[in-house]
Amino acid sequence: MALNPWLLIVIWGVILIVLTGPMLTLPMFWSRRKPDQFRDMPFESGQVPQGEARKRLVMQYYPYLLMFVVFDVVAMFLFAWGISFTSIPASDSFPVLVFLILLGAPLGYALKMALRRENW
Amino acid sequence: MDLSVPPDITFVVLTTITLLAAILALQAKELIYGAISLGISFIGIAGFFVSLDAPYLGMLQIAVYVGAVVVLILFTIMLVRREEADKEEAGEGGEGAAGLWIAGLLAVSIAGVAALAGPNLPISPPATNLPISQLGPVLTGTYPVPLIILALLLSGALLGALVLAKIDR
Amino acid sequence: MNLPTTPAELLPFIIAVVTSHTFITLVIFPGFIHLTVVVMFLTWYERKLLARIQLRIGPLYAGGPGGILQPIADGVKLIFKEVMIPYKADKPLFLGIPLALVFLGALPFAVIPFGQHWVIANLDVGLVFIFAVTSLFPSMILIFAWASNSKYPFLGGLRSLFQQVAYEIPMWISALSVVMLAGSLNLVQIVTAQQRIWFIVPAFLSFIVFFIATMAELERLPFDLPEAEPELVAGWYTESSGAVFMVIFLALYMKLYLMSSLITVLFLGGWWGPAFLPQPVWFILKALVVATFMIIPRGVYPRLRVDLLIKVGWTRLLIIALANVFITVALLSTGVLSAWGL
Repeated sequence: MALNPWLLIVIWGVILIVLTGPMLTLPMFWSRRKPDQFRDMPFESGQVPQGEARKRLVMQYYPYLLMFVVFDVVAMFLFAWGISFTSIPASDSFPVLVFLILLGAPLGYALKMALRRENW
Repeated sequence: MDLSVPPDITFVVLTTITLLAAILALQAKELIYGAISLGISFIGIAGFFVSLDAPYLGMLQIAVYVGAVVVLILFTIMLVRREEADKEEAGEGGEGAAGLWIAGLLAVSIAGVAALAGPNLPISPPATNLPISQLGPVLTGTYPVPLIILALLLSGALLGALVLAKIDR
Repeated sequence: MNLPTTPAELLPFIIAVVTSHTFITLVIFPGFIHLTVVVMFLTWYERKLLARIQLRIGPLYAGGPGGILQPIADGVKLIFKEVMIPYKADKPLFLGIPLALVFLGALPFAVIPFGQHWVIANLDVGLVFIFAVTSLFPSMILIFAWASNSKYPFLGGLRSLFQQVAYEIPMWISALSVVMLAGSLNLVQIVTAQQRIWFIVPAFLSFIVFFIATMAELERLPFDLPEAEPELVAGWYTESSGAVFMVIFLALYMKLYLMSSLITVLFLGGWWGPAFLPQPVWFILKALVVATFMIIPRGVYPRLRVDLLIKVGWTRLLIIALANVFITVALLSTGVLSAWGL
């Protein structure tokens, strides 16, 4: 029977959840659950942890996230073009090359900043 | 409206997931749960795209929205300090009634339109089924100018964001 | 297929379902049983291989020759250990995200073809399905690291997020060259197009970029800094113990097998090989060779610093991947590859 592939993926997902779920839920039943102050302290190689654990955020790579968002979209558009590359006339690929060249500007700027500064 | 046809099970499940996740995203006490619910809501929307025969768009939705935008939102949430986030503003008390009032108005107007239109319910024409191999030719052949405008938009946005991120330090 | 209406029809229905091709692909091969067996084998294989590189012996005693049942011993031990949840950690997230990680690591196996008819779901957008699912990993690792409420995991999780995000784009753009050569996102068609020539030959630069980017995605040495032992204890999964660690461990090796299979499909010709071995055997052999080449650097190379690592991903690898796209454009336009049907 030729099932819809997405339906098969859903069935596969259900099989996965059903068969891997007990791996984590069952051990919760037979592990000790009384909270203990010393056992549950966050691990800091034996020292007492000080300060809020979630305070310091590494913000120096934030521009890379911005670039990732934009190039994520760009990559998906390029996939749409790449599928039909051999079946469209060459003049149709020209807008895509212009697309890439136009996006080379911020890429070049970002990489220039990345190579110049120490921590970007 | 033809009430004798049972509703499509995929549609019902996807709608439930998307709407519940969206409501949870707004109402969650911990902001991180809200961001995760937003991600689940986006996955629900991607499911809608897949069920409407646009699987490529669904995958694009997951890769871009859940993969990148939700990460940015999580970052923003982690920047907010805990004391500021845990403070809940006291509502003025009329929020539940206002919500019911608006929902009631919406339901009455939709029911009114459906009843008045009768059997000639305005439905948008079915979209042409575009296989994926045709997506590229349509994009580059029929719409090259929007593609270039898209490139300009993306590069402008990226350059602006990078320059702003530079100034902030 | 008629659903059974009387109890007399139940047994033939069950037999028909169990022997149907769909059921076999879902559960046995390339489904759940094969996946579990190979992932457990990979954990043993990695320890043995690294041990031999480091002039040790590795697992030896756990039943059978060479300690082959070691993964089962590990699993039993980890299941019975206590799951310690750190003080003020977010309990539902701490327990739920490892399950989600292993779920997302195993989900893309539904579209990977192990043989001409051995694929669970022949999806037309198979390749971007895999990329979309793997793009969910960095955010889940970040949430898990945040939920652990401890400094080492949080720092490790942030570094891991940036590292994986930095290497995803070169991975996608180098896969774009393969898509252009094959003309489809359907993984079965990509392998079928490699019948005469494996894509590693025309897209060699893409292969190198993809391989390096995959190693960075999997956080293996030399891209190991999110879990650098002298610095971060164990990175984002420092606070996991017992069953949580086992699930994360499984998820990491599932990703290794997934990426090895993906490289085999995209670059090494999938299941094609001389006919004296069946097609799925060729596939698994090639995937294991790729996994070997991913395991060996762990015992050989030193670690890269994280900001240099991210810089290399964005500056060098992305440029090489884009250059290879242009090379592929040139190769396809001039018709050099028409001798091999491309």
